[in-house]
Amino acid sequence: MRARDNPFAAQRLEAIPYRLSGPTWEELLDRLAALRFRAALAGPHGRGKTTLLEELVRRLAERGLRTRTVTLREGDRRLSREQRETLFRDLTARDVLLVDGAEQLGRLAWLEIRTRSRAAGGLVITSHRPGLLPTLHECRTTPELLAGIVADLVGRDEAERLPPAEDLLVRHGGNVRDALRELYDFCAGITASPAARTGSPSPPGR
Amino acid sequence: MGWIQVETRDGVTAFVPGETVEGTVSWQLEKPARTIELRLFWYTQGKGDQDVGVVTAVPFPEPALQDRRSFRVTLPLGPYSFSGQLISLIWALEVVAEPGARTGRIEIVVSPWRREVVLQPHSPAG
Repeated sequence: MRARDNPFAAQRLEAIPYRLSGPTWEELLDRLAALRFRAALAGPHGRGKTTLLEELVRRLAERGLRTRTVTLREGDRRLSREQRETLFRDLTARDVLLVDGAEQLGRLAWLEIRTRSRAAGGLVITSHRPGLLPTLHECRTTPELLAGIVADLVGRDEAERLPPAEDLLVRHGGNVRDALRELYDFCAGITASPAARTGSPSPPGR
Repeated sequence: MGWIQVETRDGVTAFVPGETVEGTVSWQLEKPARTIELRLFWYTQGKGDQDVGVVTAVPFPEPALQDRRSFRVTLPLGPYSFSGQLISLIWALEVVAEPGARTGRIEIVVSPWRREVVLQPHSPAG
């Protein structure tokens, strides 16, 4: 299968919206407001924290708030000059700071964000570890969630021919992003999944 | 309801590198546009992050609500259109009306053979 035809291509995965389970969006935003817009989205790798943060940008804009986002990568112990500009320049109470991957920051950098964000209307972070800010929502994954995403990407019939969502999630420790990347490889014919090696149908479209 | 579209001359969508592409852009908008621009670009699609390269942009000054303009752009010598298992490189012509990001797009193929180059997986000898 050509990369452009692969239903699990990165660009298609990026277009998948966050599927909120538990509270409604209205309830989540009310809770965020009750926390004075200072809160954390928690959960291990591949649970959808970044996707939820991106959705928050849109939802907060609907409430008349502007957002400023910085994304930290593995090993980013401090903010770059550009990231500091993005977050702190001409801050007003209408600005909500969004920091994706806040657990990467060193203690001093985190304290600086906490302190300077007081001039803003809020600070929402994603973090693998709890405790930096009150947890607004804990991102979790389930086989049903993964199965729903897969069905939306390939259709219910085609999804039946792919490795089961439950097996994929177990293999990837609950990381939906990695499970979807395995399905990319499976459809591309790069690697056969363990399920395929034990006699399941061949990848679709080949 | 408004629309915006790009068409190449005679509907040709496969070209060799360095060739000149001619065509028309036409639109019918519900709200006035400040700018309308045709962009020739390539992008990647596949397992990894997306790369994009905008080669040229052709502005259409003072766009009316309904109009039709011709364009002429020269393709660069590369990269070629190709697809493998991990990545595809796709060329496109896109017309964008702002504000509102209203767009129309067609994909084209750029390669010496006027066909997308398909990369085959390497099979070790023996």
